[in-house]
Amino acid sequence: MSETAEATESAANAESDDAPRTNEASADSPVISVRNLWKVFGPKGARMRLPHDEQVKGLSQTELREKTGCTAAVRDVSFDVHKSEVFVVMGLSGSGKSTLVRCLTRLIEPTAGSLDFNGQDVLSMDKDTLRELRRHRASMVFQNFGLLPHRTVLDNVAYGLEIQGVGKAERRERAAEMVTKVGLDGLGERRPGQLSGGQQQRVGLARALAVDPEVLLFDEPFSALDPLIRRDMQEEVIRLHREEGRTMVFITHDLSEALRLGDRIALMRDGEVVQLGTPEEIVANPADDYVRDFVRDVPREQVISVRRAMRKAEKTEAGKGTELAPDTLVADAIEAVARSGESARVVENGRTIGVVDDARLLSVVAGLDEDAGGGRGEDGEAKEVAAV
Amino acid sequence: MSTTTLPQPSGEKEKEKAAPAEPATTGVSGARALLARPAVMAFGLVVVVLIVGALALDGNWPGALNWSSGIKDGLDWLSNWLTDNRATSPLFLYFLLHISNWSEGGVDYVFTFLNNLGWLGVTALATAVSWYVSGAGLKVRSLRIALLTLCTFGVFGVLGVWEYAMSTLALMVVAVAVSAVIGVLLGLIAGLSETGNRVLRPVFDTMQVMPAFAYLLPLVLIFGIGSPAALVSTVIYAAPPMARLTALGLRGADPAALEASRSLGSDPWQRLWTARLPLARKEMLLGLNQTIMMALSMVVMASVIGAGGLGDKVYQALSKDNVGLALIPGSCIVLIAIWLDRVTAAAGDQLDTSPGSARTGGDAGAIALEKLGGWFAWGVFVVFAVVGTLFGPVGERSWPIQWTVSISSPLTKGIESFTHSISDGIPVIGGTDVWASHFTSWVLNPMRDAMQASPWWAVLLLVAVLAWMAGSWRAGLTGVLSLAVLGALGLWDKSMDTLSQVIVSVLCTLVVGVVIGILAARSRWVMRLIRPILDVMQTMPQFVYLVPVVALVGVGRPAAILAAAVYALPAVIRITAQGLRTVDPAAMEASRSLGSTGWQQLRQVQLPLARPSLMLACNQGVVLVLAMVVIGGLVGGGALGYDVVYGLQKSDLGVGLSAGIAIVCLGLMLDRLTQSAGTGKRGGTK
Repeated sequence: MSETAEATESAANAESDDAPRTNEASADSPVISVRNLWKVFGPKGARMRLPHDEQVKGLSQTELREKTGCTAAVRDVSFDVHKSEVFVVMGLSGSGKSTLVRCLTRLIEPTAGSLDFNGQDVLSMDKDTLRELRRHRASMVFQNFGLLPHRTVLDNVAYGLEIQGVGKAERRERAAEMVTKVGLDGLGERRPGQLSGGQQQRVGLARALAVDPEVLLFDEPFSALDPLIRRDMQEEVIRLHREEGRTMVFITHDLSEALRLGDRIALMRDGEVVQLGTPEEIVANPADDYVRDFVRDVPREQVISVRRAMRKAEKTEAGKGTELAPDTLVADAIEAVARSGESARVVENGRTIGVVDDARLLSVVAGLDEDAGGGRGEDGEAKEVAAV
Repeated sequence: MSTTTLPQPSGEKEKEKAAPAEPATTGVSGARALLARPAVMAFGLVVVVLIVGALALDGNWPGALNWSSGIKDGLDWLSNWLTDNRATSPLFLYFLLHISNWSEGGVDYVFTFLNNLGWLGVTALATAVSWYVSGAGLKVRSLRIALLTLCTFGVFGVLGVWEYAMSTLALMVVAVAVSAVIGVLLGLIAGLSETGNRVLRPVFDTMQVMPAFAYLLPLVLIFGIGSPAALVSTVIYAAPPMARLTALGLRGADPAALEASRSLGSDPWQRLWTARLPLARKEMLLGLNQTIMMALSMVVMASVIGAGGLGDKVYQALSKDNVGLALIPGSCIVLIAIWLDRVTAAAGDQLDTSPGSARTGGDAGAIALEKLGGWFAWGVFVVFAVVGTLFGPVGERSWPIQWTVSISSPLTKGIESFTHSISDGIPVIGGTDVWASHFTSWVLNPMRDAMQASPWWAVLLLVAVLAWMAGSWRAGLTGVLSLAVLGALGLWDKSMDTLSQVIVSVLCTLVVGVVIGILAARSRWVMRLIRPILDVMQTMPQFVYLVPVVALVGVGRPAAILAAAVYALPAVIRITAQGLRTVDPAAMEASRSLGSTGWQQLRQVQLPLARPSLMLACNQGVVLVLAMVVIGGLVGGGALGYDVVYGLQKSDLGVGLSAGIAIVCLGLMLDRLTQSAGTGKRGGTK
């Protein structure tokens, strides 16, 4: 109860400009909490009934359309986004991920379910409160940039502040700061049409950052960019996250992007979350054949850590070999093991918790580790997270 | 009718020829398949019935279905009621009279203002404003436009039409302002609301095919002869393009930008002001350009209902059959048209590019100069306005008389001798007049007689079958109903007369236009040559076309047909060339890589792929030709157009309005038929 009260209070604070991010105390509670969210497109009657109809929940997308004339873009999705994490939603086109992220600020109105932002119920917000949420607490970066071609870069970046009603001098000053921050120094007076795609998306990023939001939402922001520029932009996001620790929800269809950026990944298919977990969990323990297929070509040694690859230490091995931290990547462990020529110890808090040798490491690279003992238990755990 | 006999044979021939060249095409199964189609069979049958009927039966519209006397009584009663109650009815007192007074007052006010500025003030003001809106500064373009303005106004003075030009301009200013405001409002409704769009779209569509000539008369009866009627008819004519393009711009805005704006928490007003309207700016400016050009066209034509100004001079000269007198005000109107078109086009381009490029350079000097230019233009405006209203004009009110040159009498003489020598003075080949009379007796009369002799029910059937072939029963229904209205109005024969003129004119315009269009599409050189000519032709008001035509072929139906064909020509050429040019380059490359000759490429790839554009060209041609053919009533075109003119001159609502309705019905039928042919699965013409 006290949490709710606090959240309401923070919402009240958020309306004054200078204190939009006051929720330090409740760091453990999720920033965004989504439960059983549905978004159904179709005729109104059928659309409203669908989420409560137990019979149709098992149907596939095509069966559903034939039976009810509806399309469930988001089906019964639940997850939490914690403070300062990068939460990635990944799926192929048509999996409902873009709809999902729009539901978070009700750019698309969800059909059913519940949605809390810092403990505050988003779905029951009236227009003004919702507008305040969009103005100060969550801002979005779009795939097609969505810049206004008739404004300069600086005025585009300042656009969010203008909508909030910030005075011209102040908003231009803050916009100039943001333009510098995303590396567009000296381009402030250009028009979007005169910039490259990567530069345009930097403007989009600066515009979202300028309002100093609690959460940044990214809707496939780099899909329209060249591979090299995409990589640059990903590093830019990683850098920003490291510097500011801002909470981010990132939508992508690119698995390597998801693995590179995500603290946790929700993998979507046909509107449902099929697996939710850390990149390592998803690569090491695919929940089903679909996910397994998806992650088949991932270089596993780059994602999986030695904690997952190790076996129990035998008594003889207790004191010798290189020490490795449990979250060392297998790729790094291979280097250590190859260098020393013997198995390495995994040490946590000064205690040896396991051993990796060349056989264990190679089985990770070969993709054979999935059947090994460690995996099974955590498979269940991952599912549990997804079902929360 | 002869439009419609074309497709069958040419379609067959094309298929047969295409078959050996392109064996892979799936649809080729020869002429037999084409004949097996029920619609084609029915078409053939109807044509046979039509011919037999025309020879053997009585083609007149049956008296039982002719309600013209009832309609005429009703209209006469309405006309009397309007005249009697103009001073007493609350409809007039509280609504129409206000519109009338406001528009009268507005036009008078602007006219007085221009008059108070004096000729020096008006010229300086117009030059400064043109220079400023076309980019200011010392750029070549803006200086050129300033010079053009200066020359335009100088010509008004030198040719002694200053006063008339001012009264035309005064009406223009008010009409454009009102049209733009109403257009933007309607455009906002259609652009922002789905229901608004559904309601307004058909209205705009109908307005576009409706010849303006048709609704002059009711306005005259309501507002009387004079500037209010002229103003209202101009607004009705000129506001739709503004509304249409505003709605188009609002609907076509980048959805990502709008969503971004929404995601930042903008409320609907903020979104409208900061995103929607600025994103639609380009279309809105184009709309303004079109509105201005159409307003000019209508302001000039409204001289028929007492608008005064340059148009009136042309009208009077034409009714005296004096081309020399009409030529001077006519060319001044063309000058105004070119001037306005260039200025608005330059303003549009300037809005698009200049601020960006000026700021990119970060050149403080350029920005300062631009600002200075703006202040200068406004300064000139304010100074002249204040001085003009307080102390009277700087210099004299009207252009000094000693500076005018009277060229009308030598001009008249020159033109007379010229037309005389080419009308029938050329040995062997005759002359324009001779040709025109041959044309009338060998083409026009037989065609009209054939159409009037055809049984009315067979014509209805033919229209229905044509629509069926085009694949749209809706269009067929509209067409048949429209034709039925013509009969019921008792105007069947006159409508057939007008229709025969339209068909002949459309054929001429399509043949010439498509050929030139093909040439222009295939050769850059031709395009560059004809582009400026097309530009000028497209900006010229309809009315002006009558002047040279009458000089060439004299008064009569050939004049109307020639004017209509020439008037529709630029649009047909433009659309054809555009359609051929934008054909998928990959398909063109593929055909070239298969070794096809230029001719094969044109026939097998370009023309089939550009088919939608060709259909559009046909549709536009028909609509434009009809609008012009009825105006031809002013120069002896006869038929429906003459009825409208007669109705206007005698204030006879019965004759004039039924003819107006008949014109609208003809327009609807022709438009729906050609339009459905464009969108249907298999088209009718070409």
